[in-house]
Amino acid sequence: VFQGCGGLVSVLIVFVWLGGNQVSPLRPICDLRVLEHFIREAQDSEVIMRGCRGGCGAMKSYFVPLTSVDFAFWEHIDVHEQAVEVQTGLSLLVQALSTAMKAVSNSRLASALDNNISNIHSLSQILSTVLPDDSAPASTQSQEVSSLPELLQVQSSFLRGKVRLLLSAAPACQRQNS
Amino acid sequence: YHGIFSLPLAFGGYHLAQLLQDETEHIKCFVEGKDLTCFWEERNNLHHQYTFTYSYENKNKMACAVSSLLASNKTIFFCKLPKTPFFTTLDVQVLRDGRMLYTRSLNAENFLFLDPPRNLTVMSSGKEGQLNVSWLPPPLKYMDDSMIYEVRYAVEGSNMGKVEVVKVSTMLVLLGLQSDTRYKVWVRVKPDGVAYKGYWSAWTEPVFGVTPPSDVDPLIVLLVLFIGLILCLLSLTVILSHHKFLLKKLWPDIPTPEHKFPGLFTVYKGDFKEWMSQNNGSMWGRSVHVYTEELPSLLEVLSEVSRTSHDTSQREEEEEKESESSDSGLTDRWRDPPHAHWLMEQLRALQENPESRCQSSLLQSHDTYVTLNQGDNEQQVDDVFEETLPLQTLFTTTGTSSLSTSHSDLGSLQQSSGSGRLSSQSSFEYPNHTWAPKGPGYAYMAVADSGVSMDYRPMSSSRIAELGRHRMYTNDYKNEICPHKWPLSGQYIKSGSESCTGPVW
Repeated sequence: VFQGCGGLVSVLIVFVWLGGNQVSPLRPICDLRVLEHFIREAQDSEVIMRGCRGGCGAMKSYFVPLTSVDFAFWEHIDVHEQAVEVQTGLSLLVQALSTAMKAVSNSRLASALDNNISNIHSLSQILSTVLPDDSAPASTQSQEVSSLPELLQVQSSFLRGKVRLLLSAAPACQRQNS
Repeated sequence: YHGIFSLPLAFGGYHLAQLLQDETEHIKCFVEGKDLTCFWEERNNLHHQYTFTYSYENKNKMACAVSSLLASNKTIFFCKLPKTPFFTTLDVQVLRDGRMLYTRSLNAENFLFLDPPRNLTVMSSGKEGQLNVSWLPPPLKYMDDSMIYEVRYAVEGSNMGKVEVVKVSTMLVLLGLQSDTRYKVWVRVKPDGVAYKGYWSAWTEPVFGVTPPSDVDPLIVLLVLFIGLILCLLSLTVILSHHKFLLKKLWPDIPTPEHKFPGLFTVYKGDFKEWMSQNNGSMWGRSVHVYTEELPSLLEVLSEVSRTSHDTSQREEEEEKESESSDSGLTDRWRDPPHAHWLMEQLRALQENPESRCQSSLLQSHDTYVTLNQGDNEQQVDDVFEETLPLQTLFTTTGTSSLSTSHSDLGSLQQSSGSGRLSSQSSFEYPNHTWAPKGPGYAYMAVADSGVSMDYRPMSSSRIAELGRHRMYTNDYKNEICPHKWPLSGQYIKSGSESCTGPVW
């Protein structure tokens, strides 16, 4: 019995030690590498867009979220407010990207846009798991862009900025301070 | 940390200026901390009014205060945006005297210029050729896990440096270094390019570390010792288990013929004559083994006796004896067999003769008797005997059969092939003949091989003949070496022990 207890304790100690040495967040869903993967794919769409000659897609105007982050201001916003703002922005982006994808003639760009849309859907689910969005979606400010390249840039900026800051600052994803 | 532009260009600003040399835009921007700073260069002798405006997200343009910095032949104008918005496109403009000079659109998060890493430490890991390098990232929020580092190290005083790129982790183990060498290590940092982009930071101040000297790993030493100990134990075990065999090989026993003479030493205390009389029948019935350790030995004729008339008649008998010989060392046929046979008989007769002057305990080990042919042995024996020189008995017959014989293993035959070389063989079984001394005529020697070497000088045959006329020489011994030296010129031989009597000239 004592031998079994000693073995179990040693195994537990090993796991605790391993857990303490981890650099990544404790919860797998909080791993920023998933978000970074989505960010890279959004940047890939921008690259494809730049290679388009003569406009691959329709030149339409889209309503997109505000992406600017003032760090001093952002830190004082409540986490839940941040979550609401992010979720609203993500839904706006999905609408805009869907509209753009229907009008795009380049198949490669269209598939990239489709990929971006599914990524944003995944992000919404991740964030709703980490930060339950219990409050009603507030009327957040939006801006209007007039071209698809601008839309893609907004998507990229939004993911790199507000979404990432929210995910890294979520209480459920906070690393233990050593 | 002071702003770069708050210091003279000789330090941080110069470094940044170096970094921005490749920037093609007129307006060069970087983010230091959380603030965006944009600057442009103008020649000195121009006096203009510069305005800097920026806008983002379709908002109204905002102005920024322009400062200037005088360099050697140019002026640097810069503006630091308060509350720089990130993750949005900034449109900046430079107006000279109200007219647009430069314009640019950029995202602030792509131009980060981080502070160099902090607390760089270089420590020896204890292992040969390794150094542990660790540092702390610059104190920036939200960017801890999106940084990439570059470690540069070089031998102190050398210009050849190597660079290692480290992602996310803030420590590195340098491998493959020279032992007992002092190394210089630098580190710098840059955003990893996913969420944030930017320029390489300035190098940290160099930190020195010394690699451990290359000595033998104590574990290896212990292992070697342990294996050596095991090998020693194994060899010891093998030696002990076979110690008898090894002892026999290294320290061989002195062979004794005791097993051939049952009871000779135990019952009769070496009295061979007694033992012979008691064990007469059993002795000859036993087979005699040829002892391979016995070596041929030379014989020397010391005296001579005259031939008898029985010589020729015994020739046939000699030939018979020869066939019975089991000498293993006989290589040459002896030329005058009859004499050997006559000698055997004489020896036997002497043994039975109680008037023998010699003591009966003459030859105790398996003795060999050699007869010498007068005619053959003209030459002097040149060789000096070695090793198994037998103890010798010299008998001279001057008509009397005063020879002491022994019934030990007889059968040594002379080998004389003209070279004077004598060899005695180990004993062989001799048929049960009675010996009758044939009378004087030949000198012969009884050669006993007891495994003990005796050194003596040979004599010439002529000398032997001369001796033969005079007297008999007996050499009594009981497994002892009589330290005699055969004289070459008739010197007096002194007996070395009680049991030895030398010749009297």
